[in-house]
Amino acid sequence: MSDLRKGWLVAVREMRERSRSRAFRASLVVMLLIVLAIVVVPAMLSDGGGTVDVGLTGAVAEQLPQAIGDQAEALGVTVAVHRYDSVAAGEEAARDGDIDVLVVDAQRLMWRRQADEQLRSILTGAIQLVAVQERATAAGISPDALLEMVAPVPVESVEIGSVAGRSPDDEMAAIVMTVLLFFAISTYGSLVLTGVVEEKSSRVVEVLLARVPARSLLAGKLAGIGLLGLAQFGVTALVALVATTMVDSIDLPAVSAGVLAWVVVWFVLGYALYATVYGALGSLASRTEDAQSVSGPVMVVLMAGYFASFVAVGRPDSGLAQLASQFPATAPLAMPNRIAMGAVEWWEPILAVALTVGAIVALVQFGARVYAGAILHSGPTLRLRDAWRRPTALRSTTAAVSSPSLIGAEVGTGVAEEPSSLPLR
Amino acid sequence: MEVAVLEFDAAVKRFGSVAALDGCTFAARPGRLTGFLGPNGGGKTTAMRAVFGLVELDSGAVRWRGDPVRADDRARFGYMPEERGLYPKMRVRDQLLYLGRLCGRTANDVGRIVDNWLLRLGLDARVNDTVDSLSHGNQQRVQLIAALVNEPELLVLDEPFSGLDPIAMGVMAELLAELSAEGATVLFSSHQLDLVEDLCEDVVIIDHGRVVLAGALADLRAAAPQRTVDIRYNGPPPDWEQLARVEVLAAEDSHIRLRLGGGADLAAVAAVATAISEPISFDYQPPSLSELFRQTVVA
Repeated sequence: MSDLRKGWLVAVREMRERSRSRAFRASLVVMLLIVLAIVVVPAMLSDGGGTVDVGLTGAVAEQLPQAIGDQAEALGVTVAVHRYDSVAAGEEAARDGDIDVLVVDAQRLMWRRQADEQLRSILTGAIQLVAVQERATAAGISPDALLEMVAPVPVESVEIGSVAGRSPDDEMAAIVMTVLLFFAISTYGSLVLTGVVEEKSSRVVEVLLARVPARSLLAGKLAGIGLLGLAQFGVTALVALVATTMVDSIDLPAVSAGVLAWVVVWFVLGYALYATVYGALGSLASRTEDAQSVSGPVMVVLMAGYFASFVAVGRPDSGLAQLASQFPATAPLAMPNRIAMGAVEWWEPILAVALTVGAIVALVQFGARVYAGAILHSGPTLRLRDAWRRPTALRSTTAAVSSPSLIGAEVGTGVAEEPSSLPLR
Repeated sequence: MEVAVLEFDAAVKRFGSVAALDGCTFAARPGRLTGFLGPNGGGKTTAMRAVFGLVELDSGAVRWRGDPVRADDRARFGYMPEERGLYPKMRVRDQLLYLGRLCGRTANDVGRIVDNWLLRLGLDARVNDTVDSLSHGNQQRVQLIAALVNEPELLVLDEPFSGLDPIAMGVMAELLAELSAEGATVLFSSHQLDLVEDLCEDVVIIDHGRVVLAGALADLRAAAPQRTVDIRYNGPPPDWEQLARVEVLAAEDSHIRLRLGGGADLAAVAAVATAISEPISFDYQPPSLSELFRQTVVA
């Protein structure tokens, strides 16, 4: 049976066992609940789908409600007008939240708290209009002539954001994307870490390695957890999308399909990069407690990429952003941002992918060697240097056992101390 | 004599300045149980790991049917490491199926083998339990099945009897004898020399990475120059001093145990025996495996 097929069996086991575990199911439920909360709660809080309640009291021109309705309609707002006999009754309604604003004598607007600027401009516009109409009638100007005189001049309001061609919504989308990528890479990367340590501390690894080469075992584990991660995120994203369309509460940032595809690509690359390192480092530790300290430096690098990619959102053309989006350790977080902000030349993502893939290939070689050297070692946490120099017999099953190995000779002089290593038996 | 299928040929493995295997040469034959003996640190585990490529030899070879062991061969080997281990949270049957499929067997094939063993070892009611919910004894059984999921032609077991209660030891011994009788080559290490003596046709004793004694146990015992005389008696002690090259191993009231050096005169021994006035028992034997072991393994 080929090593590839064995690696696939390993991957299938990872997916099966992990998707069965209570921890995985609980985390999926929690993620879905959080997403639903983000989508649904704003909809529930924004009482009744965008209708604004306006209270009127005191002396009110009879055209005013009509004028308010027209002004609001022009801005896409639905207004319900309520009349109150006294100011006191109106104030009470405002305080209870029955109405958003109380208009007193067409001269004063009373808010419970901060004024809603849009609603204020609707109301003041309506009041001005009614006043002008009354004065025009008094001055003998016909309503038609007046309408022509006061026909509104359209004024457009545009949010230009900090980058040409991209709106603040795009920026928000890029930031959310970065947070998700960071979360996904660190979550699934550390699953690889603990998975490797579990196999080592439960000693099942020796049974496995008698049947599967170390490289296939590591690669299968990476693939299984990675695919599971993609599926988990896919399900969550799908639920979020369906919920958003059904509830229609928040505006989906206009992210193009191209940008989304890049996010998936960069998740795969970033995960492969970090999970390989996590897998190799996990093999150094014998206990889960030790694994966290071994992997600490990796987390620092990942955090650095995280912060660098925020710079890339604000100033995607800056030198730092360009550097961060090409350097393999930070590119998975920084490059998708620059793509989303439309700040890249066509060749930049391709170069970054090539560099990252190159780094992954190098890290897989490195990781597989460290993993093979360290995975059967028991006792205190190994140093990276020692794992690198240790016998790397496990790397391949096809190499005949008889071939004298250069690496073995190197070990002969390299590692003098073998504190609690099993092979001494 | 049957053809040897597993051969170690001048295998050398160094860890730093320590030679775990130092020109280790021996063979194991099909249909015979081979006991692999030696002091701790003698090289047993390293040798067994070398069979599975878990240790890469510096020089020398491990051969299977004449050729260096390859991955395809290992798919037909079974291995129980000294450090027992399974996935604690994985279900018994799933786990065994997984290990079997890693040997390249189809799911149906492995399922049949695994279900047979689960039934035979009394685990058929626990197939969907996780391994960590099983008792220690049952976990040992699952571990044994893990080595048998591919109906191995070569079975290598590192200390299979350690940690077993006497009943489980009996079951294990019976099982190994049966597998061997069915034609498998079985190599296992143990410190329980009496058990190995009862069970094994062949023994290999390894010390400081070198084989110090190997062959059929009966031949090795017969070839040893020493003999042991064990006499129980009432009345006056036997007159053993006329024997040549004699060493007293134990002397108590009504019991004496002697070791005779090479070239013992059987007639003289018989004369001592007949001269005892009230004999209870008289035993004249080649050395036991324990004695052979102590003589060959230099402290």
